[in-house]
Amino acid sequence: MPNPFDVLLHHSEPIDPTLWEWIEDKIHDVLGIDSAVAVLVLGLLMIAFPLAVLVLAVRKQRRSG
Amino acid sequence: MSESKRGGIFYGWYVVAALFFASFLAIGSRQGFGVFVKTWEEEWGVTTAAISVAAAIGWLANGFSQPLVGYLTDKYGGRPVLVISLAVMAVATIAVAAVSNVFGLIIFYGFVISFASGGISPATTGVVIARWFDRRRGTAMSVLIAGGSVGGLVVVPFLSFVLVEFSWQTAWIIVGVLALGLGIPLLLLVVRSRPQDMGLNVDGDVSPVEGSADHPIKVQPVGQKFVERWQEALGSKPIWQLSFAYFVCGITTASISVHYVRWAVSEDISTGTAALAFGVLSGINAGGVLVVGWLSDKFQRKKLLGAVYLVRGVAFLSLIFLPGASALWAFAVIGGMSWLATVPLTASLTADVYGVRNLGTLFGLANMSHQIGGAAAVLLFGWAFTQLGSYDLAFGVGAATLLAAGLVSLSIREKQLSVRYAPVVPEGAATDSEG
Repeated sequence: MPNPFDVLLHHSEPIDPTLWEWIEDKIHDVLGIDSAVAVLVLGLLMIAFPLAVLVLAVRKQRRSG
Repeated sequence: MSESKRGGIFYGWYVVAALFFASFLAIGSRQGFGVFVKTWEEEWGVTTAAISVAAAIGWLANGFSQPLVGYLTDKYGGRPVLVISLAVMAVATIAVAAVSNVFGLIIFYGFVISFASGGISPATTGVVIARWFDRRRGTAMSVLIAGGSVGGLVVVPFLSFVLVEFSWQTAWIIVGVLALGLGIPLLLLVVRSRPQDMGLNVDGDVSPVEGSADHPIKVQPVGQKFVERWQEALGSKPIWQLSFAYFVCGITTASISVHYVRWAVSEDISTGTAALAFGVLSGINAGGVLVVGWLSDKFQRKKLLGAVYLVRGVAFLSLIFLPGASALWAFAVIGGMSWLATVPLTASLTADVYGVRNLGTLFGLANMSHQIGGAAAVLLFGWAFTQLGSYDLAFGVGAATLLAAGLVSLSIREKQLSVRYAPVVPEGAATDSEG
């Protein structure tokens, strides 16, 4: 019987390690990029989004007085 | 006239964007747990089962935290709950980097991170959105929920590449630092618990000129079932109808999360193909939730909620009646359209019927029923397969419960009970705002 605690809410469950290993191989096969480049690109994306929201929201607040 | 019609973007959308990022981090880092399982097994010399204890405790802590954080959100507003939850999650995430055994993982991930991330769930973020949006509540909620899907798509690969390039400790530290350095300032500077805190109205509507004959004062109307205290809602039908349907949502999504690939293998489909189909399902759900959320602002939400459950029922039937490979892809496409769409619909309908004052507690309770349904289903589906050597009976039960959930959702008297269909009331009548 499977472990009943393998699963969390469907919008916050941990990814299955075997599934991820397979997906990781596919990403590598398709994109073929170095992991350091991937870290840089995804890292920049994760930093740029909140910074952009922050700047735009603060500008909006100032304009609204 | 709304603020957007005067040329500017309504500030509520910046709130959605900030909450999107908080959900993105919280859900992405929780999903990322799976990336490290094999590394921990090798480094600590433990089994997958031992590590899954931390996930199990995390599942319980996250589920049971939701009514509590929802209650705190109703009492103190969403902003302080979100900031404290993200701060605790961030510090505990950094602390995981110092862990050297399963016990440390159980304490920091199982208890602290999982409990705190309950504070960045729809039970809190959904309440904030419901207080900022009325006419476009469904659309705004669906954008927020899609943030969780995007979080999984971006954060999980990111953590994996950091693991390859540096170490698992570095990955956890980076997530914690991102939450502390960007997530918390974003919540503090951008998010307000309600539009009135910034002198704005819900949906960005321009305030009427007080006392003007041309612009009589309009007060936010309330539905027939509006409650001052959350306990009062438990004596009415809609909360039970919505919770029952959400319980079925838990049954059918949790069982598929665990058993979909196993079922495919039992049908002689390769693990890789099954994994790809599950990936397609996950990708379609992000688009599906946005479409359903947008439609829910145009049509009765109960009709869409009922349709979502019935469509998912058809997907379950396809697993029984179609041949293996066809069933796999049919489920991925049909099931994917309905996968996350229940979340914004259930949250919005709860807010429409009972008002936003107690939404956190009520939706937190519905979330708990979702968790209980999921746990029970995973056990029962596994038991049925062990006993019968087939998933057909389990999928049949899933389809039957979805039919029931669809019919129960359609039986909600939305036009009589929802604030969306209530007439605008004159000044002095009951209003719907947090206490």
